[in-house]
Amino acid sequence: MALSKPAPERETRLFGLTRKITAKIKAKKIRRGLAIGVMCFIALFYLAPLLWLFDTSFRPKVEIFNVPPRILQGPPWETFRSYSLESFKVAIGRYQMHQGFLNSVLVTAGAIILTLLVCSLAAYAFALLKFPGRDVIFYCILATMMLPITTMLAPLFKVMQSYGLYNKHIGLILLYSTSAFGVFLLRQYYVRLPISLIEAAVVDGASKFRIWWWIVLPLGKPVLSTLAIYQFRYVWNDFLVPLILLRSKNLHTLPIKLQVMDSITIAKDYDAMIATGFIAILIPIVFFLLFQRHFLEGLSGSLKE
Amino acid sequence: MSSIAVLRSRHQRKRIRFSQVEPYLFILPFVALMAAFNLYVYFSGIRLAFTDAQGINPGEWIGLANFAELIADKQDFWPAIGRTFLYTFGCLITQIPAALVLAVILNSKIFGRLRGALRASFYVPVLMNTVVAALLFRMMFLRDTGMVNWFLGVLGLPDKTNWLYEPKLSLLLMIIVSFWQWTGYHMVYLLASLQSINPTIYEVANLDGASPFRTLWQITIPLMRPALTFVSVMSAIGGLMQFEYSFMLFPNAGFGPGMKAMTGIPYIYYHAFRSNFRFGYATAAGWILFLIILAVSLLQIRVIGLGRAEDEV
Repeated sequence: MALSKPAPERETRLFGLTRKITAKIKAKKIRRGLAIGVMCFIALFYLAPLLWLFDTSFRPKVEIFNVPPRILQGPPWETFRSYSLESFKVAIGRYQMHQGFLNSVLVTAGAIILTLLVCSLAAYAFALLKFPGRDVIFYCILATMMLPITTMLAPLFKVMQSYGLYNKHIGLILLYSTSAFGVFLLRQYYVRLPISLIEAAVVDGASKFRIWWWIVLPLGKPVLSTLAIYQFRYVWNDFLVPLILLRSKNLHTLPIKLQVMDSITIAKDYDAMIATGFIAILIPIVFFLLFQRHFLEGLSGSLKE
Repeated sequence: MSSIAVLRSRHQRKRIRFSQVEPYLFILPFVALMAAFNLYVYFSGIRLAFTDAQGINPGEWIGLANFAELIADKQDFWPAIGRTFLYTFGCLITQIPAALVLAVILNSKIFGRLRGALRASFYVPVLMNTVVAALLFRMMFLRDTGMVNWFLGVLGLPDKTNWLYEPKLSLLLMIIVSFWQWTGYHMVYLLASLQSINPTIYEVANLDGASPFRTLWQITIPLMRPALTFVSVMSAIGGLMQFEYSFMLFPNAGFGPGMKAMTGIPYIYYHAFRSNFRFGYATAAGWILFLIILAVSLLQIRVIGLGRAEDEV
């Protein structure tokens, strides 16, 4: 700004000063461009294994382990000619990948719905109702967050068997819906709900259950979607629990399908594994691109609390 | 007349009772599920750890024999625990600094609209199934057809390392995969914490002529201490509970060459479901691991403080 004003000094001096400043600005711009370029390159390098996976899932089996990767042998648009869906056909035909996909969807959807209902109802009581022992019970629930189920694999197996829930999807769904973190997250949100709405409903003679169903649940939509995405990531990707609790082939979820494919020792169908892996990670990535905000909120929410 | 009064009072009493009971009914589904699928599992784990149960055979009470065997086992158990800590430590010292550096870089204004895209590309591996990540990196690390050796060859570095079959490298490979998968997770959280710092602090520092490095060291890091601690503790717990990399990164589900990738949870899984179905023994090992994880979790509560977190929200 100051530069545009006529300066009392001689013109040459002014000219020199502007040149110096423009040079400085230019250097800064170059530095900026360089920094952006370097970061983009690092990001691309970081994503390279994933891009390799995406690319090879459409390649015929003979091209999977090409070195250098097939896509770098010649112009990419020409290598795309060898694209096919052969790997997916093998995964479906030989390993019933579609069944695994449906099982994953069923378990994840069931677990999310049950978690939301059960946790929300409990969180509503802890946040907005008064009853003896409320805080003690709440803190006990918080304490169970320190009981990770995977240290107790053998007891888990035996207990699920004694319930008759071994090798059943419903067993997994019930197990996943005991989210103490979920109750905590929802309660923190419900405590801050506008009390006037609830009081108005009480005056109108609404029962507590109806208040939950008609007021608390709809008002809590943002936090419910955060919890849903948190559960989605956890259940969709979980491996160890279904590994010990699902025996029948037709019940296996996608990660277990992958393990089964991998357990063939001679002539592994790497193409089928890559195709299944592609599907297993595609769903979360698509969801992420659609609901990025909720994913990141869930993350910082989960870490904050 | 009196009977009506009795009825009414009964009726009233009943109503009062119901409204008193109602909140408990609301928490009942959750508490029942919690009791059945979490607490009862732990409870039955107490008995099981003191038996020689094997598979469906309920076994007999053998007192502390399982624990004695574990504690005396310098061949398999303690090395597995040692590896668990080594792996966890390796993850911590690589991921947290890298995540901090990335977050500070991405926080600078020059990226503008590009920031979201860059953040997303570092975050995408977090969304991946750990099994897929492990299998993917196994293919990357193959000696003859893997991309890692190919790339090293392009750079002119030694490219004949047999990564997957070298016992000394097992933990390193796991740390590399973990780094690739989880650094973005920590970065996103640290970035959010960075963006909540009041920018006037930096303006003042800038006016005082503080160098960027000094600003980072004396302003940014102290202000981010709670976030850094939290991310570290989460990362540590994740490391202690790690299973998939040990089990799926190496060929033949053998927990690495010479079982050198065997850490805590894989040890429990191996003894309960892969070798001799020693349920009692595996449960005892689970209790020891649980105590270790509990110690770290308690540290978390002490450092961050549940009560304080509640006040903030």
